[in-house]
Amino acid sequence: MAATATSVAASTAAKTEPLREDYVRIDDLTKEYDGFRAVDDVALTIRKGEIFALLGASGCGKSTLLRCLAGFEKPTYGKIELDGSSIVELAPYDRPINMMFQSYALFPHMTVEQNIGFGLKMAGHSKDRIKARVDEMLTLVQMNTFAKRKPHQLSGGQQQRVALARSLALSPKLLLLDEPMGALDKKLRSQMQLELVGIIERLGVTCVMVTHDQEEAMTMATRIAIMDAGKIRQIGTPDEIYEQPSSKFVAQFIGSVNLIEGTIVDDEKDYVTIRSDVLEQPIYIGHGVTGFEGQSVAYALRPEKIKIEKDEPAQEHNKARGIIEDIAYFGTHSVYHVRLVTGKKLLVHFMNAKRWASERFTWNDPVWLSWGDNAGVVLTS
Amino acid sequence: MIARLRRYLPDGKWAVIAPPYFWMLLFFAVPFAIALKISFANIQIAMPPYTSLTEWVGDTLTVKVNVANYLFLLRDSLYFNAYLSSLKIAVIATFFCLLVGYPIAYAISRLPTASRNTALMLVVLPSWTSFLIRIYAWIGILKNNGLLNNFLIWLGVIDEPLQILHTPIAVYIGIVYAYLPFMILPLYTNLVKHDNRLLEAAYDLGCRPWQAFLKVTLPLSKAGIIAGSMLVMIPVVGEFVIPELMGGADTLMIGRVLWQEFFNNRDWPVASAVAIVMLILLIVPIMIFHHYQSKELEGRLT
Repeated sequence: MAATATSVAASTAAKTEPLREDYVRIDDLTKEYDGFRAVDDVALTIRKGEIFALLGASGCGKSTLLRCLAGFEKPTYGKIELDGSSIVELAPYDRPINMMFQSYALFPHMTVEQNIGFGLKMAGHSKDRIKARVDEMLTLVQMNTFAKRKPHQLSGGQQQRVALARSLALSPKLLLLDEPMGALDKKLRSQMQLELVGIIERLGVTCVMVTHDQEEAMTMATRIAIMDAGKIRQIGTPDEIYEQPSSKFVAQFIGSVNLIEGTIVDDEKDYVTIRSDVLEQPIYIGHGVTGFEGQSVAYALRPEKIKIEKDEPAQEHNKARGIIEDIAYFGTHSVYHVRLVTGKKLLVHFMNAKRWASERFTWNDPVWLSWGDNAGVVLTS
Repeated sequence: MIARLRRYLPDGKWAVIAPPYFWMLLFFAVPFAIALKISFANIQIAMPPYTSLTEWVGDTLTVKVNVANYLFLLRDSLYFNAYLSSLKIAVIATFFCLLVGYPIAYAISRLPTASRNTALMLVVLPSWTSFLIRIYAWIGILKNNGLLNNFLIWLGVIDEPLQILHTPIAVYIGIVYAYLPFMILPLYTNLVKHDNRLLEAAYDLGCRPWQAFLKVTLPLSKAGIIAGSMLVMIPVVGEFVIPELMGGADTLMIGRVLWQEFFNNRDWPVASAVAIVMLILLIVPIMIFHHYQSKELEGRLT
């Protein structure tokens, strides 16, 4: 999860922008295949100009939802509105929506130029108009020198640029990206992610993307919807999803997390304490939660929120002792697997801020773990 | 020493590719050479009915190459007309095969995977019956008191039987029927490989289904169209049985001319010359076929 920290930082800029109007409104959307609900009663709104990511494991229904937007699948029932008008009944060729396909689906018998100009030609524009727009698109994706090539003469990254240019040539009201980085290798991926976002934001086009890669979603998206079994589990900005997951599923799906099961013993307006069998001290939370005394809850604590040290910290709550059982070194940070005296195993991230850290720990070191009053999230589901 | 010798001796790989080459040599190259030889000989009433090209007189070996047979083909307009008529019939029949075969191949390629093999089976199944029997069956259907005419008269559409058999129409029906599988199979192998996402991309960019067919499916199936067309056209040029049995006396095709030269006139040299010229005429389409067939096998669609 090396990139998670940087991507959270990158997306906070987007979060500070004012809320924009609802542009796409999906309501009550369900798609059934032979009794199986691929998309189950989905409702969401997408704002103008944002990059909205549908994130989930394969088979969670995200692709079906995207295909409903494109018009390739007809929803069993439900509403899809784009810019105030319903598009459910429109055929794909009548929708002001264009898609960048997974593995691009470039026409192999046409040159780069012809691929990009295809939509314009179908729309009946004049030759000069098509030429001008194609040139503009080629410049946008920096592919001018490849205009006469055929797709099979291009590298994966170049094909992606052409696919992007083709899907943007008609100035769609909504751009759909289906696993945009799926066919690229890892190094190229992180470079293209930022470049793609740059182009999309420069044009101000509203965009829905589908991905199974959380780093990709966090890097590129303004907001993310986590999908599972056809349902949306949570919608939020990348940092909301990461820092304020609404369920154990979301907390575990994004990044890594320590889940500590326990019971609320004090439920006050401004603080809550939770008792857990795996901790000697109670968990103290410095704000009220919606719960009741005696309720069993899970406390979700991200590994990088835990402080690891040799000596017992002064605080009364939110601490535990154990020994280091395993170490994984990632360069930027190390992950310590700490076995508590109760037997529970916690993950702890330690930033390797210094090159030769004298305070770095080793196997079987006895350590104290501690965390702040607002470090974790109380989850009831 | 032995190891060095073995380097120059053929190895196992050679044994694998040898049989097809041997087959081609025995059943194509040798017969072709014999026909070529006979086409340069003179007719004579003997056994065999042609003269030898080589002759030993004293110590001199004379090789006599007689081009009179070829010149004869040029001078007599019958042959030119027969070639032209054969080509015309082949081209028109191929066109109709394509017209009928393309929709069938397309429909089969769109079927669910499980049903495709059954459908292909139905295309091939008729050829399990003898070719001659199927042609006679068509004669039974098309003749004046055959199935079709009787049915139309029973319906009251016509008062007297339509003359279909022994007209060019009957020949076209017979050829299109007999050669249709050769059109469908290569088209199917091409169409079944098409990526459905390309069609979706076309719809997405504003194509109606028929436009997507014209702009994407049709150009991408070019190799299949050419392979199928050549596979039909090449044998149809030399077709003999169908024009003989279903055509009229005026259905002029080079296969019939060949038959007459060989069996009626017993002129083997001219018959051989007719065959050699036909082969030369067909070399161009054969090369085109070969080019696109190998492209198709390589799996390149561009």
